[in-house]
Amino acid sequence: MALTIPKETYSGKIYNVQVGTGAKAVTIGGASALPYLGFEGTFPHRPAVALEIMDIAPDDWPETVKKAVGGVASSPVQWAKFCQQNGADMVALRLMGTHPDQKNKSAEEAAKTAAEVAAAIDIPLIILGSGQAEKDSQVIQAAAAATRGKNCAIGKALEENYKTMAAAAMANDHKLIAMSQLDVNLAKQLNILLTQMGFDKERIIMDPMSSALGYGLEYTYSVMERIRLAALMQNDPMMQTPVVCDIGANVWKVKETMAPESEVSEWGSLEDRALAWEAVTASAMIASGADMLIMRHPGAAAKVKELISELM
Amino acid sequence: MIVIGEKISVMAKKVREALTNRDAKPLQELAVAQAKAGAHFIDVSIGPAEDNGPQLMDWAVKVVQEVVQKPLCLDTTNIKAMEAGVKAHNNQWGSPLINSTSNEPERFPMMALAGKYNAKVIALTLGKGGLPADAEDRCVIASEIMGRGAEYGVPMENIILDPLILQICTMQDQGRQAIRAVRMFKDLNDPPMQSVVGLSNISNGAPKEVRGIINRNFFALLIDAGLTAAIIDPLDKDMMDTLKTVEMINGKTMYAHSYLDM
Amino acid sequence: MALSGVEIFKYLPKTNCKKCGHPTCLAFAMKLAAKQASLDSCPDASDDAKKVLGEASAPPIRGITLGTGDKAVKVGEEICLFRHEKKFFNPNIFAVAIKASEAGAEAAKKIEAVKASEIDRVGQKLRVDAIAVTDEGGDAAKFASVVKQVVDGAPGVPVILVSKNPAVIEAGIVHCADKKPLIYAATAENADAMAKIAKAKKASLAVSADGLDALTALSEKVKALGVDDLVLDSGARKAKDMIEHYTIIRRAAIKKNFKPLGYPIISFAGRDNTVAETMVAAIGTMKYASIIILNSVEKWKMLALLSLRQNIYTDPQVPMQVAQNVYKVGDAKPNSPLLITTNFSLSYFIVRGEVENSKVPSWLAVMDNEGLSVLTAWAAGKFTASKIAQFITDSGVDKNVSHKELIIPGYVAILSGALEEKLPGWKITVGPREANQLPTFLKGRG
Repeated sequence: MALTIPKETYSGKIYNVQVGTGAKAVTIGGASALPYLGFEGTFPHRPAVALEIMDIAPDDWPETVKKAVGGVASSPVQWAKFCQQNGADMVALRLMGTHPDQKNKSAEEAAKTAAEVAAAIDIPLIILGSGQAEKDSQVIQAAAAATRGKNCAIGKALEENYKTMAAAAMANDHKLIAMSQLDVNLAKQLNILLTQMGFDKERIIMDPMSSALGYGLEYTYSVMERIRLAALMQNDPMMQTPVVCDIGANVWKVKETMAPESEVSEWGSLEDRALAWEAVTASAMIASGADMLIMRHPGAAAKVKELISELM
Repeated sequence: MIVIGEKISVMAKKVREALTNRDAKPLQELAVAQAKAGAHFIDVSIGPAEDNGPQLMDWAVKVVQEVVQKPLCLDTTNIKAMEAGVKAHNNQWGSPLINSTSNEPERFPMMALAGKYNAKVIALTLGKGGLPADAEDRCVIASEIMGRGAEYGVPMENIILDPLILQICTMQDQGRQAIRAVRMFKDLNDPPMQSVVGLSNISNGAPKEVRGIINRNFFALLIDAGLTAAIIDPLDKDMMDTLKTVEMINGKTMYAHSYLDM
Repeated sequence: MALSGVEIFKYLPKTNCKKCGHPTCLAFAMKLAAKQASLDSCPDASDDAKKVLGEASAPPIRGITLGTGDKAVKVGEEICLFRHEKKFFNPNIFAVAIKASEAGAEAAKKIEAVKASEIDRVGQKLRVDAIAVTDEGGDAAKFASVVKQVVDGAPGVPVILVSKNPAVIEAGIVHCADKKPLIYAATAENADAMAKIAKAKKASLAVSADGLDALTALSEKVKALGVDDLVLDSGARKAKDMIEHYTIIRRAAIKKNFKPLGYPIISFAGRDNTVAETMVAAIGTMKYASIIILNSVEKWKMLALLSLRQNIYTDPQVPMQVAQNVYKVGDAKPNSPLLITTNFSLSYFIVRGEVENSKVPSWLAVMDNEGLSVLTAWAAGKFTASKIAQFITDSGVDKNVSHKELIIPGYVAILSGALEEKLPGWKITVGPREANQLPTFLKGRG
């Protein structure tokens, strides 16, 4: 019996989305088959790996990752440059200091930081709010205006604030990250709502909501597989946006990235374990279709980039 | 199609209050209206009824049958309340329908009751340890329940299989699987096994403006697949018109210009 | 063509003898149709039934068991390409390679690592599943000595014998012949000799070829030589080739019922860099590899890989459950608020996350409702007033909190009255319906 390669016929394809400007601009998306099945489709762009920085010092990050970003983290600009030098494809600035429970920084302060960071690097910039839907609307509006022309990816637009977020992206020519809560149907709904208000679907990057290895990773994994299947097999235009996985924030709050070996001897070395935790979480996202990753540990990011090279 | 009127449900605030206050009138009004609209069974759902379950069910069965000459579908997870209901039921118009047994051990006594009182029983194709993934899983569970029914002396024609309707908004594929299951259930016995659904659960969680259209079209597909009973709102004219229309198109009833009025 | 349960039922004895472990022949037929059982379990199946059903009822990917006794592991018998379609059934196994050159102290260290590898994770015991003794240079005596060291040192742990030299395998298998080892591998060159050993010793046999066409031909050849328990190696070692080959193998088996590729896959993830090895093994775990060979099994690496495997092989229909307990969120004090939710892990993670976001230290009581979400659990009679009351009473929460106020999810507001009756002295407060309203709710309490 001779083997006939059982190929799928895909009717859809992922949109190409460019972030950043100039020679270091990065395009993501474009896949025409399920992840890395080169015998039945093409993958014109590598998934981009962004390293995360914040507008405040990373005091609540675990030691392992704090150590890995060295002494530069007190200055967002220095930190951003450090990421650029350490192989990041993009920098993701999380304006955590604007959270009412953190420093409650004003939108103007945040915008100033965003502009300074954008000016300091030539790789693309992702600008994220603190996750507080209401405050993010103001913060991201200001930051988007202050970085106009840089073609950033801004977010995250949620069901609660997508109108102001989309308006900020439209008015300042940025791309928009839209996040729904780990549900393929809600992801589609949010993209419909965005396009209904006139936002170009080919400027959206979808965030299905990430989870860490060992902590519900399988939900994200299956949601991503289903998003990609709908995009490619059902040719669903609302599911064909590239996907971003914001994993660092999830990975670096679980016990496995914090507990020293002295506490849990059966878990082995903390340094290796923590790095592997972020790297393996990223591998799962890559395998299920991530086009862009936001990570924290430069060492883990470097390993993920090696894996991506092996997959392309 | 056997229509089971769903309106007397503990999920509705009006009914919940009537049950708590032992106020017969709202229940009787709902029963009469549903019977008039074409219900063959009146569902009486009293919830888990942890306190005074038996008395509550006994009372509810009696007040409802006071005003409608129909068999009832008795819905509670409380075994003692169920037994009280079956005992109180007037079988003159048909035996009661127990809602429900399943493949979960705590629901086995419901099947035992069906055997003991020669009642009909709805068998939810749900087992221990998670939801059935597809129609095949549902058939595995159904056949196990049928085996148990045989042990308890329940004739197969008294078991009505429920493929378990789940929300389309969070478990999209399950709607299709339920339709497949209804089709497959028929083959599990000769004469064919009967099937029933709690229809409106399909659109739970969906916005109000799409619920009706989802319910009606899902119903049409289920009828076509061979569904024999449905727990629905008989007062919903669009729903009943869907039923009449599908049955007419499938040649189960004869066409006339005014077929909807019949 | 797959037969329906009812069609299969017609060929069964219809005695309802229960010897197959199912209550009736019909139930067994349904399991066969769902590819969740094998006709072998029916002792009274007629020859006619075996003939007709044999092919139709055989799982598309053959199940292979490695080892014997309580450490035996079964792989294969998968029926879908994506876990959300149904589930992945038999978790892949991780084996550590011990090279012949590591005989003695190095091997002993790895054997100890395997024996000490068991961890408890969300109620499951997970460990390095097998040991792959690996020949280098064809020294049969040395190979055999390592096999013996492994069998003696790690009794019961399934063994994989890795050599393409039949003489080497023959020398090694002496020490584990009755323990259902896996031989790696038959190739185009040695197929006859390897098949002969596998048949004589009732061992499973991996077939290894360069590429899928060659693999198909070799698999058919070895099967024709009378070996049924096969494992496949297409030669893929790079992550991209692994994903492509393994996907084609799985698709051909499941969607086309292509028998020559209807076997579990063996994957060699070995790398000089241990983090790279971890990530490649992760790709194998997600993308259909059933047996993954590693060079090293550091504790941290196995924790990551075993956690990933557990995630991927979780039944999507059975949500992962969190242990019933009263959890401390933040620096909760005796006067901190007490909330209750169900043990559906997603409910728990989201509720916990939102409580953390609120920065209001709290106690979170998680009740076992078989992993159902709040509303579903209530409707199923598993999150009722008396069950909650019982849980609160038995939980010993009074050792943690000094007050008697319980915050219940907004979806079950209906329970507040009955709960106050069943928990005398307690105040029941109705919380928000959605977890994302928790921060506002908790902070609003002052």
